[in-house]
Amino acid sequence: MLPKAALKRSRALRRRETITAYLFLLPSLFFFLAFVIVPMGIALVTSFFNHTMESFEFVGLANYKELFSDPVFLRSLKNTALIVLVAVPTVTAFSLWVASAIYELAAGLRSFFRIIFYLPVVTGTVAVTVVWKWMFNQYYGFFNYGLKSLGLIEKNISWLGDERYAIWCIILILFTTSIGQPIVLYVAALGNVDKSLIEAAEVDGANRRQVFWKIKWPSIMPTTLYILVITTINSFQCFALIQLLTSGGPNNSTSTVMYYIYYQVFRLYRYGYANAMGIILAIIIALFSALQFKLTKSGKAA
Amino acid sequence: MANVVLKNVQKIYPHGSRENKKEQKKKAKSGAVQEQQKNQPVVTQDGVIAVHDFNLEIADNEFIVLVGPSGCGKSTTLRMIAGLEEITSGELYIDGRLVNDVAPKDRDIAMVFQSYALYPHMTVYKNMAFGLELRKEKPEIIDQKVREAAEILDITHYLDRLPKALSGGQRQRVAIGRAIVRDPKVFLMDEPLSNLDAKLRNQMRAEIIKLRQRIKTTFVYVTHDQTEAMTLGDRIVIMKDGFIMQVGTPQEVFDRPENLFVAAFIGSPQMNFFPAELVLEDGKYLARISGVDFPLGADLQSGLSQKKVQAGPIILGIRPEHLTLCDSATTEPHLKATVEVCEMMGSTLHLHAKVAQNEVVLAVNSVDLPPEHRYGFKPGEEVNFSFNGNLPHLFGPDEQNLIYA
Repeated sequence: MLPKAALKRSRALRRRETITAYLFLLPSLFFFLAFVIVPMGIALVTSFFNHTMESFEFVGLANYKELFSDPVFLRSLKNTALIVLVAVPTVTAFSLWVASAIYELAAGLRSFFRIIFYLPVVTGTVAVTVVWKWMFNQYYGFFNYGLKSLGLIEKNISWLGDERYAIWCIILILFTTSIGQPIVLYVAALGNVDKSLIEAAEVDGANRRQVFWKIKWPSIMPTTLYILVITTINSFQCFALIQLLTSGGPNNSTSTVMYYIYYQVFRLYRYGYANAMGIILAIIIALFSALQFKLTKSGKAA
Repeated sequence: MANVVLKNVQKIYPHGSRENKKEQKKKAKSGAVQEQQKNQPVVTQDGVIAVHDFNLEIADNEFIVLVGPSGCGKSTTLRMIAGLEEITSGELYIDGRLVNDVAPKDRDIAMVFQSYALYPHMTVYKNMAFGLELRKEKPEIIDQKVREAAEILDITHYLDRLPKALSGGQRQRVAIGRAIVRDPKVFLMDEPLSNLDAKLRNQMRAEIIKLRQRIKTTFVYVTHDQTEAMTLGDRIVIMKDGFIMQVGTPQEVFDRPENLFVAAFIGSPQMNFFPAELVLEDGKYLARISGVDFPLGADLQSGLSQKKVQAGPIILGIRPEHLTLCDSATTEPHLKATVEVCEMMGSTLHLHAKVAQNEVVLAVNSVDLPPEHRYGFKPGEEVNFSFNGNLPHLFGPDEQNLIYA
């Protein structure tokens, strides 16, 4: 047994270490509290108020009630859902496909492909969007020119001005700017799969497809989960693209929850109403992420 | 279950592949034609030769051990048999079928990896059943085979666990179990025991011997440990720098090593080597070490005279346990040595001593020690030793092979 003095000393030592640790955490803790936790709290509180430029009165759940009868919000919710449901699976599947095609190439070639796919990520969203806007232009855009020269269309299409196409244009751009990081992550993950596992499976009698789905796929599951979560959040929060290309139009056909929040705050100055929307969006994202965690976890165990 | 035949099998890693680039650069820097260094893989125009002209016939149900220092090509050879490594030239037959271009999955082999390579996301049961499931075996048969193998290896309790919840020894058993359930034609093992601690290794070695008696199949086992090679193998293939140095039963390679490398590699402590002079006097061969003439035994005499070996410099090899201590007053030829280190091993005593410029190791049975040396020798003490004239191995000084057959 330790003498009492020693115990005391070790306790004092531990306390000192704890204090040091908290001191190191303090700066980031301060910013985290001031810019993440506190605003979240304020948002939650103000969502129960009719908070505009001139008024600030408690209205209970009125904002939430209004939301679910607001056709623009419902349409935005539908658009958001469409973007997430289309973008997340296609981004994940496509990046896995590209990564598995390139990860075994020579280092130089692999880097080349990685750069190509990563460029839209590092390029500023505004620059990328301006280029896309030009390509989608009804009169001198690349797409209309291309399709017309191939004889596939007769009349120029107003890609961003037509309710039928606008949302898909947004999804396409979102797709190209979203695949960069998943590809890089998948290339790294596939390269890290234990080679002897693959060889063991080959000796055990697995063909290429079986090796991929039964050995590699479960091994990269943590990466897949991470990619699903970040792509989902990314898609939910898609905003700059819409603001720059369509401003939610035509006829709210490209408005998303994120964009509608912006619209309510900065155009109509309805802070309380917008915050209620923000809370709903946060809950939906949290639910989605939890669901993905659960699904991929159970998939891993099977 | 099948014989394996390797005919002139070669493995060349071509230049330009990533791992060779450095070496090429080094070569280019160090100048044009350079003498081939010892213990270096042979580099030619085509690339680095990992395995040279490998010829071996492995009989049905034979246990073959490939042994050698790291980089000798033993693992490459095994991986070529498995189909994980392409064969540059030569032919590989398993059960009479040429399998050079057959994928690993169609070769009907099973392999135990050094790292075990258990699938981390599958339970022990699934790990063992995986190969059978891929072969679309009936579930009842899979279940029966897995449980049978688990019984043999004593891992029935762990069938529902994931590999990460097992200890090293248990993982090793699962890896072996995964190979057993397949009933393969050839059982390949790549240093399966090298990740285990000494005690567990001895235990698993004994289990592999038992296992081997239970399941009748052909084994190819790779190791760098000569004890494993000696205890497990029906025949041992000793390799160095991609060349086979000797193939033989454990007794053969121990009793009649064909060259210095094998002589030094097999046996522990290592064989002693003395630069010596072969002298022919009155039709009798003598070995002269440090000016002392040792008569050679009858077997050596007849062997040498049949081959009409010329007198001249040789290297005389003799195992530590074949050296015997003797009295300094004896009239028999003997050598005087100064003790440097004395290691008490229990039943034997290892004496590291110096004779002129040579290190020599004597392994003496502790019961044979004189009473005053019951507990060993002090550094600096003088000892005298001699040996039976039939026991030395005589090697040519240059080609380093046995000089008689």
